[in-house]
Amino acid sequence: MREDLKKQIIEQLNLEDIQVSDIADDTLLFNDQGLGLDSIDALEMIVLLEKYYGIHVTNPDEGKEAFVSINSMADYIIKRKG
Amino acid sequence: MIYIGAEEIISPLGKSVEKNFSAILENRTGISVADRAGFNGDSVYISNFLDLSEKNKFENLIVAILDQVIIKIDERIVSSARTIVLLSSTKGDLDNNINDQFGKTILTLATRYYLANQPIVVSNACISGVLAINTAGNFIKAGLYDHAIVIGCDLISDFVLFGFQSLFAISSQPCMPFDASRNGITMGEGCGVVVVSNSEVVFNEKPLKLLPGTSANDANHISGPSRTGEGLYRSVKRTMEMNNLFSADIDFISAHGTGTIYNDEMESIAFDRLDLTHAPLNSLKGYFGHTLGAAGIIETAISMQMLRNQILIKSLGFEQTGTSKELNIIKENKPAELRMILKTASGFGGGNASLLIQKP
Amino acid sequence: MSFITSYCHITSDSCLVNGGEIATRDLLSNDSWLKQIYKSQEFVYPKFYKMDSLSQAGFIASELIKRAQPNLSAYKDEEIAMLFGNQYSSADSDIRFKKSYEEHGAPSPALFVYTLPNIVLGEIAILNKWFGENLFVVLPKFAPDFFVSYAKILMSKGSEAVLCGWLGIWDEQINVFLFLVEKQGNAGMEFNVGNLHKLAGLEVV
Repeated sequence: MREDLKKQIIEQLNLEDIQVSDIADDTLLFNDQGLGLDSIDALEMIVLLEKYYGIHVTNPDEGKEAFVSINSMADYIIKRKG
Repeated sequence: MIYIGAEEIISPLGKSVEKNFSAILENRTGISVADRAGFNGDSVYISNFLDLSEKNKFENLIVAILDQVIIKIDERIVSSARTIVLLSSTKGDLDNNINDQFGKTILTLATRYYLANQPIVVSNACISGVLAINTAGNFIKAGLYDHAIVIGCDLISDFVLFGFQSLFAISSQPCMPFDASRNGITMGEGCGVVVVSNSEVVFNEKPLKLLPGTSANDANHISGPSRTGEGLYRSVKRTMEMNNLFSADIDFISAHGTGTIYNDEMESIAFDRLDLTHAPLNSLKGYFGHTLGAAGIIETAISMQMLRNQILIKSLGFEQTGTSKELNIIKENKPAELRMILKTASGFGGGNASLLIQKP
Repeated sequence: MSFITSYCHITSDSCLVNGGEIATRDLLSNDSWLKQIYKSQEFVYPKFYKMDSLSQAGFIASELIKRAQPNLSAYKDEEIAMLFGNQYSSADSDIRFKKSYEEHGAPSPALFVYTLPNIVLGEIAILNKWFGENLFVVLPKFAPDFFVSYAKILMSKGSEAVLCGWLGIWDEQINVFLFLVEKQGNAGMEFNVGNLHKLAGLEVV
């Protein structure tokens, strides 16, 4: 799932010149030293969750913890899908 | 001397500025719930026309309001070579023609009213209305024109509603500008117009005075305001300095007040930096919703009515301070001696604009 | 006397600075034409990839003008105004956003934030920390008289320079013309309608 997630993030967020291999499972996604994503990217992540995993996020603040890294996203997805 | 007058409004609150102002005096809102209007079929609060035909709504509204405003002025100026028409709008006639959102409407206006000069569309997000009025004033002050008819018009569309929903920016209840429980904007639609001129006599009813205004970019984020309110601070500061005014000279502020956490907080910080926290202030978006390109015109028109009638209007939707700097938000209508009012606007793209209107 | 001190054209296959070509489109490349210019001119600004075409074109042209006119950095942060216009507003991006919810399942916030033509002014302001006057207008075609009269008005009200732009971008068509006007300029062409008409060239619709 983690590899799929990385591919989906690259596509949904239009991350030019980034390969799946550039994103480690624990890379800090929203950190400037990590992937450097911003607030709009966070909203696109919410769209991604809906599109690929059918997960409906109603409060963007939920995303803050879930989107820290690929690992935390995978955990979040598993938790939400029950 | 630059004059501003002949203000008109067509909105869900009424088809004339008189009807709109009456409604506002009664603190009535145009906001209601629209079932299944949201992207997921959810109900959304909006302020929309319930009784206008969907066909050609954009163009019809503008023609209707121009016909109304022409009766309030010397009609000869409309097709004068010394007159410029400005249209403030973000998405124009998007639903009818996404490829050309303004062209057909502009052509209709130019033909129908025999306009001598190519109308200018000001499309600068939510500050367009205030910016268009400033632009009109600047043109006239520079002697390029003697009169300007400044129209503002925007409609609610799935396009814009879904877009704001994707940003989680839509309020779950009618918007509550500056309130502690606020959680987003309420979309609105409507049309407003003001006439700006260097001649007092073209107006049937005595006009007010328009002072030069300014705009300034936040240089921070394309869809979120600067946390320090830098752009709004700079614009208002420049506008006031340009006119030799101090904070004590401002009798009322018609703020932007969209109802989002970030915008309203930003405005409170900017007004605090400007020493304007004591000036009576409201947001009119509790009555009209956020009418985007029309907002600057509609809200200026209502502010002008407040000046004419010497009354402060309640900031609808506000109950409890929800910003880190406390503002003097008007909690109920009350008569007041008003001479100088400040109108501000902030918008996507980091724009901020401000203008001043004075009762002579 | 104000002067046009630097200018940039981007057409569908060519990029020129002050009349001299600096890039030609490689039709065989997978990259869009704007991306090709970004890469070949060795700009480093990752946010570029998130921008829509209007903002990408505005970024490239303004950066090229800055390179040609390095004294721009000497201006104070509110002294440079931006006066832009076009015929199509943000139609190009609007159509992409509309597709996102009509065909691709959900409205895209990253696309929505570009569905206003003035966003390009925000992008340029953010990059340069310019807090000056901004105005974006929609007109049926490039109007030299509007730009001359309004830029002069801005320069009479506190702006020392005006970055002006026409961003004719629609579908595959690119007709971009940016020019820098300086109040205290002493090189370049005198800022008037005749000269602006000449510089704009035939392509500017």
